[in-house]
Amino acid sequence: MNELLGRIEQALADLLQSGLSTRAAAAGPEIHALAEECERVGLHTGAALLTELESALMQRSRTIIKNDVPITAMICRLEQYLELCREKLQEELIEKRWSDNLTKEAPQ
Amino acid sequence: MELPQQLAAALGAIDEDYLVGLSNKGTVNRAKKDLAALTDPQVEINGACAVVRWGDVECEIRTPLGESRCSCPSSSICRHRITAILWLREHSGQEGPRGETACGEDGEAAPRRFEELAAYPTEKLLRQLGVKQSSAVLFRLESGSLPRISQTSVVTVELPWAPATVRLLEPLEHSTCTCHSKSFCSHKAQALLYWKIAEGMVDADTLKEALRTSENRSCEEGKGICQAVQEMLSAQMTTGLSRIPDSVCDTVERMASLCHTAKLPSLERSLRRLHREYTYYFNRSALYRDTKLLRFLAQSFRLAQQLEQAEDSAYQRLAGAFRDEYLNVGPLQLYLLTERAFLGNNGYSGAVYYFWSCQKHRFYTFYQLRPVQEGDQRRWSPPEFVWKMPCTLHHAIHTRLELNGARVSHSGKLSSTEQCEAVLGPSEEPWNVFPEDEIFTDFARLLHERSSPHLPESQRLALVYPRRCVPRKYDTVHQVFSMELVDEEGRIVYLESTYRHGVDETMEHLEGITEQIRKNPQLRPMFFGTVYREEDKLKLFPIEIVTDWGARNE
Repeated sequence: MNELLGRIEQALADLLQSGLSTRAAAAGPEIHALAEECERVGLHTGAALLTELESALMQRSRTIIKNDVPITAMICRLEQYLELCREKLQEELIEKRWSDNLTKEAPQ
Repeated sequence: MELPQQLAAALGAIDEDYLVGLSNKGTVNRAKKDLAALTDPQVEINGACAVVRWGDVECEIRTPLGESRCSCPSSSICRHRITAILWLREHSGQEGPRGETACGEDGEAAPRRFEELAAYPTEKLLRQLGVKQSSAVLFRLESGSLPRISQTSVVTVELPWAPATVRLLEPLEHSTCTCHSKSFCSHKAQALLYWKIAEGMVDADTLKEALRTSENRSCEEGKGICQAVQEMLSAQMTTGLSRIPDSVCDTVERMASLCHTAKLPSLERSLRRLHREYTYYFNRSALYRDTKLLRFLAQSFRLAQQLEQAEDSAYQRLAGAFRDEYLNVGPLQLYLLTERAFLGNNGYSGAVYYFWSCQKHRFYTFYQLRPVQEGDQRRWSPPEFVWKMPCTLHHAIHTRLELNGARVSHSGKLSSTEQCEAVLGPSEEPWNVFPEDEIFTDFARLLHERSSPHLPESQRLALVYPRRCVPRKYDTVHQVFSMELVDEEGRIVYLESTYRHGVDETMEHLEGITEQIRKNPQLRPMFFGTVYREEDKLKLFPIEIVTDWGARNE
C-alpha cells in the first residue's frame, strides 16, 4: 500500500516537473492505471479522485481557453488524500506490529 | 470687560480640572501664584481672541483654549497661558468669587455633556486598538473589571493595567495621558471606549458586532489575496518546474509579503516554506526533494482555497497568528507536575515547567529561558520568582496553585506577565490530582487520542502506566536509551531518550529506573512524556518517571 501511495505521489511530482501544458494529455493513461490499482486494493476515494483528474487532464487538451486552477485544486486534494492515507496506514502498521508481537508470544 | 461670545462661553464652561487636563497640576498651581501677583495687565480684543500682556509676556487666548499662544518658547500649555485664562475668567464675570464655574438659572452648575467624545465612532476606536486590545476590553466588560472614571469638566480614566491615567478633554486632541504621547495613543483610545461603556453608549453586544464588522472588512481584502495565490500556484503548475524561471522565487516571496500585509500569517508561513524549497531547487541543493515541493505547494494552495471559501468565524482561525499571542483566560486552578531542562538550538537554555489544569483537563507549559554564551559551562538555576510567588517554580513542584489573571497562548504556553499572580495551595501527590481517564493503561487509546502528528506538543503529553517494563540494551553507537513499556494486552510503547550534552540528569535517572526494574520486575512506574509515531512504532519521549505510583491503587 505504501508503495502504491509512493507511485501516486511520484506521478503528481512528474506532472509538476513537466507542467500541465506539456504533460497533461500524456499523463492520462498512467493516472488511469493508478486509479484501477487503487480500486483493486480498496482505496475507493483515491480511485475516484484519480479518475476525476484523468478526465480533467484529457478534457484540457480539447479546450482552447485553459483554466488550470480546478486541475491544480484536484492535484492538491490528491496530495492531501495521500497524507491522510499515510497517517492512517502508519496507525494500522503500529496495530499490526502489536498483533504480530502477540502472535509470536502466544504459546504454539 | 466684554469678551468675544465664543471665548466667553469657553471660559465659562471650564474649571480647574480642565486646566489641569490641558497642562498639569504643577503648572496650574504655579499659574495661580502668578495670578495673585499680577496687577493690571493690558488686554486687547483682536477678532475672536483676547491678547493679554504683562511684563515681557504676551499671550493670545483663543478657542479652543488649547490652541492659545504665548511669546515664551514653551510649545505646550505654559503657566503664562493658564495665568491669562484665569485672569480673563475672573474679570469677565464667568467666574464666581470663589473660582466657581458660572451657574445656570437654577443655581447649579450645568453638567457637561461631552458631545464630541460621544460622537467619536466606536468602530474607529476599535480599529485603533486592534483585535487584541479590543478583545481585552470586551473581556473586562464581561467580567465586570472596568477602570475607575471620574467626570468634572474633564473625564479622568485610570488604567491600572497599562499603567496610565488619561484626561479626556473637548476638543479631543487636547486630551492628555501620563505616557506623554502627543498623538491619540492607545491609552486615550481605551479610555474613551471605557467612558462610552460607562455612559451606556456601548455594551458587550455592540462591541462584539463592531469587532465582527472590522474583521469582515479585512476578510474581503484577504480573500482577494487568497484568490491571487491560487492563480499564481496554478500558473506554476501549468509551466512546470523544468521550464519555470528562477524569478518564481521573487514572485512567491512577494506574495508572502502581501499575505503578511493582509494579516494572513499561516498562509505567509506556508508560502515562505515553498519559497525555501524553490531556492533549494534552483541552487541544486542536496536538500531538495520534488515530493517535498509538491507537498508545500499543495499545502499553500489548499490553505488559500479554504480561506477564500471560509465563513467569517472560520476565516480568523484559519488565518492564524503572527506570533504566539497571549490571551486572558481568567483564573486557572493548576498543579505543577514537573520540570525539564531545555537546551535550545538558538542560543537559549533553561527549564520547561509542566502544569495540569484541574478545570480544563489539559496541560500547559511555562518556559523559563536565558541566552547562553558559547562555552558557558555554568549550571544555571533560575533566581527570579515568577507571578509574585514566594518561592521558585522548582520548589513548587507537586503543589497546587491558583493563577489569577492568567494569559495563555494558542499552543498552551503560560505567560510570565507581571499582571499574573499565583496563590500557592497545598502540596499534593500527583496520583491524587489526575482523573482516571488521564492515566493511559490502554495503549490503543493512547495511539488514537494522543499520537496524531497534527497535534501540537501540549496535546501529545500523556501519563502512561504500563503493566510491565522491559529495559533494552543502551545503543552506544547512536547514544540512545530505550525501554519497552507493555500494557495488559501486550501492546508496546517504545520509550527512547537520546543523550544530549548538558542534560545528563535524564540519562542518570533512566539508568537508575532500569536498575530498580532489574532488581524488582514487578515495579510499575508511571511515565509522563510526549507521545509520537515513528514508522511502525508508537514511542514516548520521557519527561518524568514516578516509581511509586501504584501506592494510590493499593
